[in-house]
Amino acid sequence: MKYPINLQYTIAEGGLAPYFEALRRSEALASECKSCQRVAFPARMVCGACGSHQVQWTALSGLASLIYRTDGTELSFALVKFAGADTLSTVGLLNPGTQTTSGRLRSLANGQSGIWIELNETTDGDNHV
Amino acid sequence: MINDVWIAGGAMTRFNRRKDGSSFRDWAREAVQSALLDAALEPADIDTLVLASESDFFTLQLNPAALLADECGLAGVAAKRVEGGGASGHVAVQAGVADIASGLARRVMVLGVEPSASHLDGADVSALYGLSFDAWTDGMTGVDSSSLYALSVLAYMHRTGALHKDFARIAVRNRAHAQHNLNAHLPLKIAIEDVAASPIVASPYHRLDCSPLSDGAAALILARAANLPELARPRTRFRATTCATDTVRLGERNDPGYFHGKNLCATRAYKMADVAPGQINLAEVYDSYSGAQLQALEALNLAPDVLHAERSGVFDSNGALPVNLSGGLLGQGAPVGATGVAQLFTAACQLEDRYAGKQAKHAPRMALVDTHGGIATLNCVSILEVP
Repeated sequence: MKYPINLQYTIAEGGLAPYFEALRRSEALASECKSCQRVAFPARMVCGACGSHQVQWTALSGLASLIYRTDGTELSFALVKFAGADTLSTVGLLNPGTQTTSGRLRSLANGQSGIWIELNETTDGDNHV
Repeated sequence: MINDVWIAGGAMTRFNRRKDGSSFRDWAREAVQSALLDAALEPADIDTLVLASESDFFTLQLNPAALLADECGLAGVAAKRVEGGGASGHVAVQAGVADIASGLARRVMVLGVEPSASHLDGADVSALYGLSFDAWTDGMTGVDSSSLYALSVLAYMHRTGALHKDFARIAVRNRAHAQHNLNAHLPLKIAIEDVAASPIVASPYHRLDCSPLSDGAAALILARAANLPELARPRTRFRATTCATDTVRLGERNDPGYFHGKNLCATRAYKMADVAPGQINLAEVYDSYSGAQLQALEALNLAPDVLHAERSGVFDSNGALPVNLSGGLLGQGAPVGATGVAQLFTAACQLEDRYAGKQAKHAPRMALVDTHGGIATLNCVSILEVP
């Protein structure tokens, strides 16, 4: 039997709404723990290191360095370190044909959620963090 | 040590991509009926059904435990559905163990079933699996399971010096083991060169480094010793069964290549069982990807230097600690809810010296079974023995 199903979700972003709103503006808004100062990007509401619920927003530059990169037939993803963050982030690469090791956070034109970076086209612009 | 929880019997269907028109309800009935026969029990002997099924999106059936209790001739039993991503089957068995140990039930039927392969297109399944991690970050970015495992194993390779040919050897060996397993999805006769020559999926992983999407079901019946029917064969008991989680986001782990949550889970299991890792002489571990088998063995502390042990043949069928003689997920297959149940059934049959597939050279006395969901995010370990 065939049974098509088309579901459109509208998901409230809750306490992380400022993080998602910034992401849609290509801005990296991280969370910083007031207790141990750990900076997490993607942001989180409870510190992953010490468990404190006392976190505040802190803006990062959006510049990122590649740590590990994986390439498929169509898409490429990487673990990157955003300047100023203590955690790594899993990101999609917008220009996977480029082999440089640094880039900048970019939002998708269609407003779709997700964390994407555009790699620098030349190594001259590499922003090692 | 867990007090007095035994495996009365079990069964599994073939794991493959069904093309015969059979449905997940058919596989569930087959697994339940065969498990009852194996345990010499009747439907009326079962108090509780614990169902493992990862996602309603696969079955398109909400409240599936009640449906399948009815479908399998068990109407009237207590029923619940348990889920833990890729570890759903193992988590369901743990729920069954708890019911037996607490006295809530005399006998529990644990049923794992999943139409992972045939109900949806591969792209739809991949999109759903992408929500197995942090759906709001990785999932919305479209990061797929293969890419996350690839990023994790790159970190493992960087730290340990492991090479892709180490992974390829596992991909070949597990498929070779699967050739002895009539229920296996991928009983392939392949060489190391074939793995590297298969299409790239997410570097360094190629298609043959990846476990398949499978359809199938498995069932296991649990009981206290006093409630086991008299049978000639020896019976397996649980010495330990534990669960532990890791932080969901790979980038928040101190070492993205180390399965810390699995290590925590295994440490708890060894303590609960009051055994040392060196006492384990058979293991079924969660090889969703070839390299993940090495990452798992490392976290489980099953050798002081896992890479050296792998290269020395310790984990081969004639080695000191045979691993994944069933073929593992790479060879036997992975219908998600059924995977952990089948791993445990396989290990029990090995211990009871009645396994129909590849057997260990030296009869094992104690086995470890390891299953996880996410990138070793939700981990389950059980230690089984035939006393």
